[in-house]
Amino acid sequence: MRYAILLMGAPYSDQASHSALRFARALLARGHRLETVFFYHDGVYNAARLAAPPQDEPHLVDGWAALNAEHGVTLQVCIAAALRRGLMDEREASRHGKSGYSVEAPFELTGLGQLIDLGLQCDRLVTFGP
Amino acid sequence: MRDGETPAGDLLVILRHGSHGTSWLREGLDAALVGAAFGREVALLFMGEGVLGLLEGQGQGALGQKGTGPTLEMLEMYDIEALYVEEQAMARYGLEQRDFLLAARHLDDTAIAELVERHALVLTF
Amino acid sequence: MKLHIVNCAPDAGRVVQQALSAMTTDDRLLLIEDGVQGALPSLVDGFSGIEGRLYVLREDLEARGLMSRHDDRVTVVDVDGFVTLTEQAEQTLSWY
Repeated sequence: MRYAILLMGAPYSDQASHSALRFARALLARGHRLETVFFYHDGVYNAARLAAPPQDEPHLVDGWAALNAEHGVTLQVCIAAALRRGLMDEREASRHGKSGYSVEAPFELTGLGQLIDLGLQCDRLVTFGP
Repeated sequence: MRDGETPAGDLLVILRHGSHGTSWLREGLDAALVGAAFGREVALLFMGEGVLGLLEGQGQGALGQKGTGPTLEMLEMYDIEALYVEEQAMARYGLEQRDFLLAARHLDDTAIAELVERHALVLTF
Repeated sequence: MKLHIVNCAPDAGRVVQQALSAMTTDDRLLLIEDGVQGALPSLVDGFSGIEGRLYVLREDLEARGLMSRHDDRVTVVDVDGFVTLTEQAEQTLSWY
């Protein structure tokens, strides 16, 4: 089956990110396809490239990136929710006159319309909230 | 207004928060507007504390934070006309239809379950 | 049939009631994260209307030291079981 995940909890504040990553690995292990993880609300903080958790804790940003590298899962971040919270890629940063940037590939900034399409086109959309 | 017959649609957005305290109401409404802008049939259910989101007379925050009143007024422009409100929550907050900015159908638990059933995609905020 | 997923404790607001009110008579409910507290024998009566359709995630019970404390009327599933539940349901709804 084709799955998508909607994640709306902030990393390390809520269990949502851990639950979602765990669920993602389990569904892939069962032979399903995970099209996309969509980050909305405080879930956008999962895309913060400067996240530096202690070494004995799960590294969520790396965890998401590994899903992309190993299974081609696209990591889509709602651009409106991200910009408000100071999360932007190099292109948006230069557009807003900021030095430095906080989001990088494989995370991509995208519109909320993607979420609706995913929800209607995939067989299953599973939401993890805070 | 009471009516068990609710039309089938693409997207049901369930709003369970009032304005200002968190961004849930705004971000939920944004999802609904985007769905409608993409040509989807969208319905809204104001549930629990979300019934306060329909209140007339909501304003800006003290720092000028935008309220959701203007967004609610845009719903019709986006052809989002299927509005529902949880009857039990209205009673809980002591609200009646005349307190609301927009007309919404009142649903009991059975009707809420039916409404959910009729939508291909349900997002809870 | 839909799968409803609840991650909030029964004592944390009205989330459980909201999930229950949106369920049809064949829908299922899975408790995850702090939601697993609802599987305690003293709290499980809050789900009496959906007996046989209530599930709880093993990993979240174990992590909280609640594994041997849950009520027998709740079906324990691991994360594979969670995926299976989503396969069997036409749609999932999350209540948080």
